[in-house]
Amino acid sequence: MPFSFALRRLAGPLLALALTALLAPLLPAPASAQEPEFFDIPYAYGQWTFGRRLDESQLRYCVDRRDPAWEADAAIADAIAEALLLEPQRYVVESGIIIEDITKVYGILLEHCDVHMGFKLIPSGYAAWASLTRPYYETQYVFVSADPDIHSLADLAPPGPIGATSGTSAHLRLISYLMALPAEKRWPTFPMGTNDIALESLLNGTVDVALVWAPSLWAKQRADPAFADLHVIDPTPLPPTTLGVGALMLSNETFLRTAIDEAIAALIQDGTIAEILAKYGFPAEARP
Amino acid sequence: MSILKLPAIFAIAASSVSLLAMQAAVAQDNPIDKVSTVTDEMLLNPPDGDWLMWRRTYNGWGYSPLDQINKENVGDLKLAWAWAMTPGGRTQETPLVHDGIIYIQNSTHLIQALDGATGDLIWEYQYALPDEVSPNGERNKAIYGDTLILATRDAHIIALDTKTGKLVWDQQVADFQKGWGYTSGPIVANGVIIQGMTSCGNGQPGGCFITGHDANTGEELWRVHTIARGDTPEGNSWNGIPLESRHGGSAWLSGSYDPDQNLIFTGVGQPYPWPAVMNGLLPKSSDPDVTNEALYTNSTLAIEPKSGELKWYHQYLATDTLDLDYVYERMLIDLPVNGEERKMVVTTGKIGIIEAIDRVNGDWLWSKETVPQNVVLSIDPVTGEKTINPETIPEIGKTTFNCPADPGGRAWQATAYSPRTKALYLPTVEFCSNTSVNPLDPGTIYTGGGRATFDRVPVADSDGNIGQVRAVSMEDQSDMWMYRQRAPITSSTLPTAGGVVFVGTLDRKFMAFDDETGDVLWTSGKLSNSLESFPVTYTANGKQYVAIVANWASGLGRLQSLTPEVKLPPNNPAALYVFALPD
Repeated sequence: MPFSFALRRLAGPLLALALTALLAPLLPAPASAQEPEFFDIPYAYGQWTFGRRLDESQLRYCVDRRDPAWEADAAIADAIAEALLLEPQRYVVESGIIIEDITKVYGILLEHCDVHMGFKLIPSGYAAWASLTRPYYETQYVFVSADPDIHSLADLAPPGPIGATSGTSAHLRLISYLMALPAEKRWPTFPMGTNDIALESLLNGTVDVALVWAPSLWAKQRADPAFADLHVIDPTPLPPTTLGVGALMLSNETFLRTAIDEAIAALIQDGTIAEILAKYGFPAEARP
Repeated sequence: MSILKLPAIFAIAASSVSLLAMQAAVAQDNPIDKVSTVTDEMLLNPPDGDWLMWRRTYNGWGYSPLDQINKENVGDLKLAWAWAMTPGGRTQETPLVHDGIIYIQNSTHLIQALDGATGDLIWEYQYALPDEVSPNGERNKAIYGDTLILATRDAHIIALDTKTGKLVWDQQVADFQKGWGYTSGPIVANGVIIQGMTSCGNGQPGGCFITGHDANTGEELWRVHTIARGDTPEGNSWNGIPLESRHGGSAWLSGSYDPDQNLIFTGVGQPYPWPAVMNGLLPKSSDPDVTNEALYTNSTLAIEPKSGELKWYHQYLATDTLDLDYVYERMLIDLPVNGEERKMVVTTGKIGIIEAIDRVNGDWLWSKETVPQNVVLSIDPVTGEKTINPETIPEIGKTTFNCPADPGGRAWQATAYSPRTKALYLPTVEFCSNTSVNPLDPGTIYTGGGRATFDRVPVADSDGNIGQVRAVSMEDQSDMWMYRQRAPITSSTLPTAGGVVFVGTLDRKFMAFDDETGDVLWTSGKLSNSLESFPVTYTANGKQYVAIVANWASGLGRLQSLTPEVKLPPNNPAALYVFALPD
């Protein structure tokens, strides 16, 4: 029984979860909800209309169809719910907007779900209203090229430009490295608004190497044969940029987050998450 | 019918006649029937009791010639009426007033016409925003001919009939799904609607633009890109990065119009993302053919309204890396400078430095510092070029200290100019920031915009007063007076011919100052929310009113972290408050 370990470990927390649900109406509301402030504490339109959830037997989770990882993440959320003896309730965010500010997730969490799957563990990367579960897998930012002769970043002569998805952890690491080099040894680095734009800039010849989120490359190559010949190159002389991915929650959901963290640990330990990643061929690793 | 008694039939008939008569009387008295067509001549010289555009007049002064309410009687000001607006969402509203009718745009894009004397609703029109677009307001709108012209959060411009509220036309200008949208409305100049685009971020490279539109149909006539392109000195000012890597240059506030020169003067915001190490402007390219000023960010553009021709530009802050916009109001002021009469464009950037350029040729004239700042070390007295303090430039892996912080020593709250005192009235705040460049790529779709983290703190040796209203002489740039208080000043200033300056605060007060001394002449009772909007004054049935929207709308409200004792209601109510003297 793949989940027996998880069930044994989580029996105590589940009891506490049930007690918390019963006592919740007696507890004071978090002060943060009374202090709206742009960026620090987001404001969700109609936030005062979202009532207390009634069904505590469900794990309500959100995935976003625009995220290349959404199907694998949904399968992992289903497994977490099962480990917690909760009924999974999936909400798929549907939108055509290309990029959104993370504060939008605040309203989604208030209205639709307890956890939103698919967020990177970045130190100091989140405001106080949000907290993350432990990572359920790790994946990387990768350097990609369309040139079959480029196998490593070291193969790229300095005039060759790099298109980096703007503002990412890997982009900053690259810029830090370049700032330490003499000007003539720097690769010109062009910030690209999205992973897709960075990859497209490889095909149209604007750049020789792109720096993108590995799941985005994976999804692009599955969806569009024009990207099939792109290949990941060795990041040397830079180290790889690996990030854990977990689920975003409201920071006051401390007990549920502890329970989910334990479930994730159990699901990594018993191989469940690795099986899900393998099923989707997803470029990530589940590490204990 | 057969069971009705005869007296009842008479009663019903009489009642019906009475109702018809009342309706006829109401129809006769409906103030909307008196609304006249807004002509070009009217926009050039608005009636004293009207507020027909964002800053009331083309020169951008935000000044009213009304004087029924004055220094002597402003202390008697009372609430005349109030109107609740749709709660939630940010709205930084400028009501427009024409012939006693007041037009407002709620955050949900519910547009309403109210009787300016009574506050009674006359008509309303609900614009349908897509579900994906959060309802938020627009800072201003325009009125031209028989139409009220509004911008929307999903990048449309629409026109409504001023008398009926019916949609006349609807023009989509850009795709909101790529990030584009409007946060401010248009100005109409020489018969052309001029509208600036906002939110030109990662979803669609190439930056923002300003468009001109046919006032009768909304059809786009021309487009000026706010990010320079092509093999020109301006186009090569982006450190060698290609067009698909250039972001920002939002034109998120309306400009001013000089009919003598037939030129629009409008501002452009900063590059995106803010830190130069993220947006490609640093490290600086060694290519001698490129520079990294990032034109036309943080500039004034002089544009001919019929053709869209960019006549000239002046950049105030090159290579901005701290979100220090120079996008705000452009005031057209004619005064002597060093003994010579000059036609000036005066504006103030987030750094709080007031600057004047000659609006005939773009020459830089003078500057005046206001709030404590450590970003600019010096300003060239001839060109206005700034030497930036290198210690304030954000670096990866290091926390830097800059004053003011990212919301600015001044923000979208407009400065105003009074020809009565020849003074500029500036709402400011004093604060600093410990700034760290952080990778803000938490999700694949959801990002932090690639911004830095700004930990906002008071200025060194702060007296605890975060908010100020400053009066600065435009004749010799001397300080006339300054009012200081704990909570930030969060509305625009409104000077009038009555010698008073109205302003609103984060702690829910609407105040009136003596325009010459800064003495507080009147303070309202606490209103329903902070006052983060553009106050206006107007007449209805010959009587002067002063109006302001109470709401919480970010901007300087972000400084609530510095004044945590200021509590605001959680459901973010919005309401229009209208004050008048007792009859």
